[in-house]
Amino acid sequence: MRTNYLFSYKSRFIGLGLILLHIPVRLFWEMAYPGLGSHGSPMSPAGSTLFTNEHLFNIVSTILVLVGLFLIAFSKEKIEDEQISQLRLDSLRWAIYLNYLILLCSLIFTTGIDLFDILRLNIWVPLVFFIIRFRWVIFRLNRSLKTDK
Amino acid sequence: MKNNIRVERAIKNITQAELAEQVDVSRQTINSIESNKYVPSALLAMKIARVFNKPVETIFMLEESDDGIKKR
Repeated sequence: MRTNYLFSYKSRFIGLGLILLHIPVRLFWEMAYPGLGSHGSPMSPAGSTLFTNEHLFNIVSTILVLVGLFLIAFSKEKIEDEQISQLRLDSLRWAIYLNYLILLCSLIFTTGIDLFDILRLNIWVPLVFFIIRFRWVIFRLNRSLKTDK
Repeated sequence: MKNNIRVERAIKNITQAELAEQVDVSRQTINSIESNKYVPSALLAMKIARVFNKPVETIFMLEESDDGIKKR
């Protein structure tokens, strides 16, 4: 069987765990340092904001969520067969379409510093949409199995 | 592409799950193939045919709508 570069089935639960873990961490941070949670302007006049506590926290929480999303999106199904591969590819295509649609629209309708928000949106839109679409088709597949019985 | 897996399964008296296990796919996939929602790869089609000990063409056939073969 050819390799398909997917994570093992169990990594999905690690991914879910990472995302769930991120929520209390984030909430705690927001409560401990109110107002700091939101990104400051990346070109703040008050010198470099690189590697401040806030910056580091944002990096870590973003990585946590991203790794979590990656593990959920690209972990194997219990039985990873050719139909699943096709559904995966389909969902990935839709996610890319949607992502570029949003990207194009936001490039047309925004200027300047809003571009930073576009980047942040761009980070998770493809993955999240892929996960939703993929789960949905698998849910439909399982449902058709039940009705056919 | 049409197929008569359902008939062949009835003849051989095996369930979707049993067939799925023998050809190493999920039961959902066998079900999708039977209800013509998914066209299997050549590899899977041949594996299924082998389970029934029949040539592939007797289990899977082209339909009118598949008629895209260019004649030279």
